[in-house]
Amino acid sequence: MQVTAATFAQKLTYSKKGVSLEEIFKEIKKQTGYNVLYSPEKVDDTKKIDVYFKETTLPEVLEKVVSGQALEYTIDDKNISLKPKESTFLERLANRWASIDASGRVVDSENRPLPGASVKVKKTGKGVSTDKDGKFFLRGVEEGAVLVVSFIGYLSKEVSASANMGNVVLEQSLSKLDEIQVIAYGTTTQRLSTGNVTTIKADVIEKQPVNNPLLALQGRVPGLFIEQATGFAGTGVKVRIQGQNSLNNGSDPLYVIDGVPFISQLQSGGNGIVGNSGVGGAEGNPFSFINPSDIESIDVLKDADATAIYGSRAANGAILITTKKGKFGDTRVNLNLQSGWGKVPRKLKLMNTEQYLEMRREALKNDGITDLTLGAYGDSDLNGVWDVNRNTDWQKELIGGTSGYQDMNASVSAGNERLIFLMGAGFHRETNVFPGHFADRKGSVHFNISNSSANQKFKVQFSGNYLMDDNQLPGVDLTSYSVRMAPNAPPLFTNDGTINWQQDELERSSFSNPVGYTKDKFQNKTNNLISNLILSYQIIEGLDLKGSFGYNNLSSVINNKRLLESVKPEYLLYYKRSTTITNSSLNSWSVEPQLSYRKRIDRGKLEILLGTTILQNINKGYSLSAIGFSNDLVMDDIMSAPIFRPLQSTSAVYKYNALFGRINYNWEDKYILNLTARRDGSSRFGQENQFHNFGAVGAAWIFSNENFIKTRLPFLSFGKLRGSYGTTGSDQIGDYQFLSLYNPVNWDIPYQGVPVYSANGLNNPYLKWEETRKFQVGMDLGFFNDRVILNGNYYENYSSNQLSGYNLPSTTGAFGITMNQPYKIKNSGYEVLLSTDNFQLKNFSWKTSINLTVPKSLLVDYPDIFKSSYASTAIIGKPLTAQTVFHFLGVDPTTGVYLFADKDGKATNSPDDAQDRMVIIDTAPKFYGGIQNSLNYRGFQLDFLFSFVRQVAQNYSFGGEFYPAGVFNYGSGNQLASLLNRWQKPGDMVSIQRYTTGSNLDQAFNNVYKSDAAWTDASYIRLKNVFISWSLPAKWAKGLRLQNGSLFVQGQNLWTITKYSGLDPETKSSISLPPLRVITVGLKVGL
Amino acid sequence: MVYKLIKKKMMNKKTYKVLSLSFLIIVFCACKKLVEVDGPATSVSSKDIYNNDATAIGALTYFYADLSSGFLTDPGSLNSVSCITGLSGDELTYYNLAGNNTLSKYFENALTSSAIIGSDYWTETYRKLYQVNAAIEGLTLSTSLNQSVKRQLLGEAKFLRAFYYFYLVNLYGDVPLVLSTDYTENALIAKTPKTKVYEQIVQDLKEAQILLSEQYLRGDAVTSYPNGVEERIRPTKWAATALLARVYLFLKEWSNAESQVTSILQNTAQFGLVDIDEVFLKNNKEAIWQLQPVRLGYNTMDGDLFVIPAEGPSFMHPVYLNTTLINSFEMGDKRREKWTGKVVVDGNTYYYPLKYKLIYSSAIGNPVSEYPSILRLAEQVLIRAEARAQQGNLSGAMSDVDLIRVRSNLRPFQEIGPNIGKDVLIREILKEKQIEFFSEWGHRWFDLKRTGAIDQIMSIVTPQKANGGIWKSYQQDYPIGQNELRNNPNLVQTPGY
Repeated sequence: MQVTAATFAQKLTYSKKGVSLEEIFKEIKKQTGYNVLYSPEKVDDTKKIDVYFKETTLPEVLEKVVSGQALEYTIDDKNISLKPKESTFLERLANRWASIDASGRVVDSENRPLPGASVKVKKTGKGVSTDKDGKFFLRGVEEGAVLVVSFIGYLSKEVSASANMGNVVLEQSLSKLDEIQVIAYGTTTQRLSTGNVTTIKADVIEKQPVNNPLLALQGRVPGLFIEQATGFAGTGVKVRIQGQNSLNNGSDPLYVIDGVPFISQLQSGGNGIVGNSGVGGAEGNPFSFINPSDIESIDVLKDADATAIYGSRAANGAILITTKKGKFGDTRVNLNLQSGWGKVPRKLKLMNTEQYLEMRREALKNDGITDLTLGAYGDSDLNGVWDVNRNTDWQKELIGGTSGYQDMNASVSAGNERLIFLMGAGFHRETNVFPGHFADRKGSVHFNISNSSANQKFKVQFSGNYLMDDNQLPGVDLTSYSVRMAPNAPPLFTNDGTINWQQDELERSSFSNPVGYTKDKFQNKTNNLISNLILSYQIIEGLDLKGSFGYNNLSSVINNKRLLESVKPEYLLYYKRSTTITNSSLNSWSVEPQLSYRKRIDRGKLEILLGTTILQNINKGYSLSAIGFSNDLVMDDIMSAPIFRPLQSTSAVYKYNALFGRINYNWEDKYILNLTARRDGSSRFGQENQFHNFGAVGAAWIFSNENFIKTRLPFLSFGKLRGSYGTTGSDQIGDYQFLSLYNPVNWDIPYQGVPVYSANGLNNPYLKWEETRKFQVGMDLGFFNDRVILNGNYYENYSSNQLSGYNLPSTTGAFGITMNQPYKIKNSGYEVLLSTDNFQLKNFSWKTSINLTVPKSLLVDYPDIFKSSYASTAIIGKPLTAQTVFHFLGVDPTTGVYLFADKDGKATNSPDDAQDRMVIIDTAPKFYGGIQNSLNYRGFQLDFLFSFVRQVAQNYSFGGEFYPAGVFNYGSGNQLASLLNRWQKPGDMVSIQRYTTGSNLDQAFNNVYKSDAAWTDASYIRLKNVFISWSLPAKWAKGLRLQNGSLFVQGQNLWTITKYSGLDPETKSSISLPPLRVITVGLKVGL
Repeated sequence: MVYKLIKKKMMNKKTYKVLSLSFLIIVFCACKKLVEVDGPATSVSSKDIYNNDATAIGALTYFYADLSSGFLTDPGSLNSVSCITGLSGDELTYYNLAGNNTLSKYFENALTSSAIIGSDYWTETYRKLYQVNAAIEGLTLSTSLNQSVKRQLLGEAKFLRAFYYFYLVNLYGDVPLVLSTDYTENALIAKTPKTKVYEQIVQDLKEAQILLSEQYLRGDAVTSYPNGVEERIRPTKWAATALLARVYLFLKEWSNAESQVTSILQNTAQFGLVDIDEVFLKNNKEAIWQLQPVRLGYNTMDGDLFVIPAEGPSFMHPVYLNTTLINSFEMGDKRREKWTGKVVVDGNTYYYPLKYKLIYSSAIGNPVSEYPSILRLAEQVLIRAEARAQQGNLSGAMSDVDLIRVRSNLRPFQEIGPNIGKDVLIREILKEKQIEFFSEWGHRWFDLKRTGAIDQIMSIVTPQKANGGIWKSYQQDYPIGQNELRNNPNLVQTPGY
């Protein structure tokens, strides 16, 4: 109230209601010529007041202006300066008394409370979190002070404080950075995470016609490499996160479904033709028994920070699957129906009959054979038993069919503040491309219900998934027959429709007719129940107790019926009808009590988690053979079999117990520190080494929240630097490996009536944990309001103490022993993920996401290698997947036999296995990734994904996978047409050695596959997935009484660019069914 | 600050909740009880197996069931010694369309270390030896077994160890002598000279002779069968003696060999030569040790492999008798008529061993009348004949070998050439053995090797086999698989390979 100006001649006349200070200042300038100077940061010139000035003096006017704000003014010459009033002590004391207690409730756009949201006074940083009802109570704030309200996944909001603020509504953030990520025992966002986590949501999974949800991740997650073993329903799927950490033991990630651990491998006993899930694994994959449509999100946890809390089981990363939950709001019904077709996408270019017979005749001539052999496996293709003029494309006959694909899913959900539920059901049917009737049928139900007490302190959530699968498969994979059978082989059926054996005059069958195997029925019926119950109770504000109870039952009945149709008539004497029945069940339960504490300390948020895990798996199984059925019809009833033969029985218990904890401290969303620890015990280890400790530290610095970055790099909307270091472990060995056991061996007729026992390998009572130390640094950047997001990671993981089968000479009595081995494996690599919003217009949008991983694995250290059984196979400083091969020199122009270089580089026909393997081939992928595009135009949507891998693989371009060109073997003998480029006479410079009918060139043939010539580029770019949909315009939908509706077409494995000459570069094989090209059309409706 | 907060909350009425629930968590903390498991219900632990009569007997009986079930063409089966050595030597011919690359390599005397793929005798025999050693260790330490059972089983284990090592040294030459179950030691073990291995064999057999029962025992390893109905399917003192006689013969300890045989031949209550038609029947008096068939539908694996059906040889019947062998039968030899068969296909004649006549039949309850014989009296007779001849007792030798000749309807030497010299007689005894024991347990191949006749014979035989091969002397010992050498840096390959 100091006034220093001398004269106050100027007066002002101005009346208006709700006028801003800025307007008043303009008026002052206009009427009096005085300038009003102020800093907009310190003076709120938008504040509106009502004024009624009539010839009012300037000081009076200014008093009025500053009355609403704590301002003072000075008049100097023609300038008026406004600035915040410097309050006296007494005034400050008075202000203190004037402060209020602000209270209110934070809700989302659907009026649901947001518990745990942060409410903070912008100026002082003081803040609280909302309670279970979203309510907050902030003591002693200035009325009108700016409060910042924020919550994970929502846009922050600034509001001014008042005593009763009512609902503060937060809008959901659309930035990718704010999508919820599920992590071990909690959630976070990419923005606040200290670890390396990639999330794939339901919308991506739903766009792909896959029968295993893991396949939906292919090409989309940096650091995650997935390979499908075959094109069969229920195929094996190999999953590796940041490389292979173990030389020859389990390298599977830990899978957790809704907080409950799930198996990574099935029990053995499945059908071998579906392939395995990683070397040494059993047939098939357990995720075939999860309906992809039931999944809300899949989170891939890669570094120590994200996984160390899983301790001993997360050395190979973790994949967390969250199933769908109900949605708040009115009852909603969703339907998704689709139907489609699958085909083998590629055919090999094989010889036709003319070329094939030319090859065979030349082979016979080369071997000096003039008399064609008669008899069962003689030269039936040329000796008159077969018609030499027939020409059949066996690929078309045997694998050229079209498979059917049907998938239906329906769900109902509804919810209010206290009760939310979801119920869903699905049906899936897939047939295959072979002749004969085989179908995989799955039916599933899924439900989730959650309830909370009136005071929101007690909550319960119960969910369950149940799936029944009935998979029928043939006994053998006809793909190998389709590429091997001679093109002039006889028809599969005789004129009267029976299976043709094309017998010679002595009634000896002239070929193995594969169609017989399609009559054999392999049937796998599996039931999978996954259920979990979560109870939580708020003991006091900030302190919650939670109990998670999980139960999983996976049981299979496999029925393998061997009819007599595939048996050559002359051998019927030796065969009996048999049914092999395999029963296996896995019962697993887990209990995880957890205590979490949340508290705001100073300007940061502290979260503490403490919990324990008790887990038990019980594996039981047996298989038996029922033999000698009198006819095909009774083969389902084992009582009709005169002979039983028990084949195998399993009974294993795995127990696991752990104590874990986590401390997370977040200072103003700028500095985040995350500490995790776990103490683990497993029954898979010997008494002395049952327990071990694991831990990790992760830290992040969100530098974009620093003022100096904000002002200098305004285009940078987000920037985070993070790093982590920690230890994780692996106990992926079988049960009881530390025990020395004798197993019963069963014979039809017990020797002297005595049950006999045989020792089951060597025991190692010193078995202990395998340990992986993971180091990781990463940077996440968002540009232009997060329209461009770039994530980069560098990781370096060292695995030591490796649990692995160690090959032993048989003088020890065993082929090997499981032991902790001294070698170290280093897996390192770069991962980049770039997501961009290329266009964001009203009617058109285009988003792109590109990911690339460049992995490297090395065997870095192996003390005493020369004393170990790896002395000649392990190569220090080379990848684990490296192998040594001969160097191929081509075909000797004089003899027509393959030539190789020996260790001195000299050409030889017979290189030495032990000494002459001088070339190193690494079979691991060099890099891999994917490019995803998503375009929207009005109601139309187009998504497509290209995935790519750079790798080498064995190329079967020197002759079929079993025998050299010219050999005729049980009706097989066809070769790739490229094998016509063979040696015929001295001087020929060609790629294929001379044709032969016998085994005299076997060595050279075997050696060529042990040479660098067989390992060629098998890189590929695959149009993995295309999704096109058209949404019904809202008006039409309304007319049809639908919430929404869309029609779509989707395709999988549509197009592959590769130089690989086999059937498929992913399966790297020409004898197993490649992944099918599947196209479906469908309809999605919301009622 | 945290401390204050907790202190403040402690005052709260809800204190008890916090305390009790925290206690709950601590109760569930990592503790040993929660990760302890018993062994699987489907197995017996090694601690228990030799502490109980039934399971201990089961662990030893396993070896016999395993021997009996082995397929003859599978090199992993010790039983297939008959087939493989027959092919390597001059007894069997490989059918060249049988599609078995391993067998063809044995036949062509063209083995290489890389031709031994996967399992071979070496692998399988050492795996058995581990279990035998474990049995010897377990039985020796055991205190809770019936004493008679323990003696018999320990005797059986020692007998089996000698039996396995006998075949190892004769197939491979020098071999590692593994006598314990400690894998750290056995993984790096080097070869032991053949003579040292034989010393161990002799020692084990002498101990077995003391420990083993004189009577054939039932499955309880203690009760003997009533006279005349015994099953000769568990080793007895006589089996150990018979094998010891053979070992002494191989060691050229002639008088020891003779005395061992004599002790068996004096036991006329239990043993005697039988008619040609009965030699391979079950429980015949000539049998010293036989095996009981354990596969339904089969009598013996030999019968099933060797007997060629009317369609001729095939992948299921990949071998037939060498013509030279057929031609070396003397006129009128009953063994040619009774123990060989013939089939004519496409104008080709295939002779085959017909010692065991019954083939697999899928007919339910195919009656079992033949048992595979591992040790039989005829061998003992010929061992003594040779041992006596070597010691200059030509008439004694002649009377022994004539027992076999007469049984086969041949004129005895005492008639046709009572004055033939020592060398000729020994050659004749060996020829008699060749005829008597063709396609049985490698007798011919081992005799060629031990007498040093192998190079002379094989340099004629090998070129006659397919592809005009050349005999290389080192092929008399089989190579060791690459994996074995790779996994044990102290193990050296069989010389020559």
